[in-house]
Amino acid sequence: MEEMEQVIRLFPQRLRNLLQKADTLRFPAEELRLRIGQPLLMRAWGKEWWLAGREQCWEAATGHAGQEVYRVSEEDIRDTLEFMSRYSLYAYHEELRQGFLTISGGHRIGVAGQVVVEGGRVKNILYASFLNVRIAREVLGCGDDVMPWIYEKGEICSTLIISPPRCGKTTLLRDLIRQVSNGWECKENRQRAKGITVGVVDERSELGACCHGYPQNDLGIRTDVLDACPKAEGMMMLIRSMAPQVVAVDEIGSIQDLEAIRYGKNCGCKLLATIHGQSLEDLQKKPVLREFIQEGTFQRFVILSSRGGAGKVEGIFDAGGRCLKT
Amino acid sequence: MKWMGACLVILGCTGLGRHLACQWTLRLRWLEQLRQMIYFLKGEILYGHAPLGAALEQVGGRCERAESARGCCGLPRFFRSVAKRIGMQEGEIFSDIWKEELAQLKDSPLKEEDLAGLKSLGDHLGYLDLSMQERNLLLYLEHLDGQIEYLRMHRKEKTKLYTSLGVMGGLFLTVAML
Repeated sequence: MEEMEQVIRLFPQRLRNLLQKADTLRFPAEELRLRIGQPLLMRAWGKEWWLAGREQCWEAATGHAGQEVYRVSEEDIRDTLEFMSRYSLYAYHEELRQGFLTISGGHRIGVAGQVVVEGGRVKNILYASFLNVRIAREVLGCGDDVMPWIYEKGEICSTLIISPPRCGKTTLLRDLIRQVSNGWECKENRQRAKGITVGVVDERSELGACCHGYPQNDLGIRTDVLDACPKAEGMMMLIRSMAPQVVAVDEIGSIQDLEAIRYGKNCGCKLLATIHGQSLEDLQKKPVLREFIQEGTFQRFVILSSRGGAGKVEGIFDAGGRCLKT
Repeated sequence: MKWMGACLVILGCTGLGRHLACQWTLRLRWLEQLRQMIYFLKGEILYGHAPLGAALEQVGGRCERAESARGCCGLPRFFRSVAKRIGMQEGEIFSDIWKEELAQLKDSPLKEEDLAGLKSLGDHLGYLDLSMQERNLLLYLEHLDGQIEYLRMHRKEKTKLYTSLGVMGGLFLTVAML
């Protein structure tokens, strides 16, 4: 549990001692939630846990949180945020405005509380009262089942991964990038593909978990990463400067993102992208996305869910909506 | 024997006077170096949006290399040791790290008031947004400018005063003891 060790070290002294004493390392935690005055909750093995008892150990969070359950204080939240930002909240100002910050290791800290609005735009989060520490994990090989389906006649197809939050879309995209970049071979059906140049626009630093611009996660040998750069602008920059054969982005959604993807497609680049959603029909209900799908920008749609654990592939569809794999 | 003792007293007192005069000059040099480092830090934070650890390491490393020939590396080392402590992720509060590392400047030419100013800078670094960092650093730079100005203005007279006081004091003691 290397990443759990890394995550515990991200907390200030008080919480760190508490987590170490509670033997948190043995839990494959997905996220930790801190809310002022509420129990410290951890999600692992599909269940929620809280710190309870005289020994403050992890117990399954069921029923009413009693007196002996550890409750998060205002100081815990303040110190955690300060420590996780390495005492430099100003350096994460732009990210915080969007409600999150990504820290070393690619872990994402969601922040909520009272915001400051200026000119109709969120300027900052003044009082952070809720934190969600989402633990990033690199799962090498999690895209093995998907890889054969995103190639057609040896050529990669533009692919959109559709998934609700917490179902592993970023993890899957990361592995697809790695395999596309390194080159891929399937021994079962003797399918193979040469490695090609991939350009990644990693707006939230979750794909590469870059430190000083250098990815800490394995994104493959032919991958160029534009870290912490807005997606739309980054895609244009990469296409102009690095000539990628595939452009990969996480969590598209804005009109600017879609415009940049259209630009990429017209330049002859293939795309690997993720989007929030439940199904293909779900996306088609949104007018801008429906038009986009009908244009045939993507030739493959991979639907994920968390049934029986994050990363479950519910189906792979082609541009015509035909199911290729369930 | 008597004359030898008298010579030693005069030399000792002159040396003390010279030392005090040198301390004045050294303090001025340290404060000028500190001002330059704070300007660099401001640049790293405002234009590079660098987190404190990276900014302090960058500035410390740069100034240590530049100053290694002159042997004036106390302040760059202080910056670098704070950066190192941040990197160690021990879960402490930044102002505590800053305060603890400040102890290594105790034997430097900086006076108590200089260290107090530096400590108060550490209490507010990293707080709120970029413009707050800028104001905090500018406020400290203003304070440093005042001190540097005072030291520069009085350098000639003070060094002269300390040196001559040392010599005169030595002579006076010799006469008194003879």
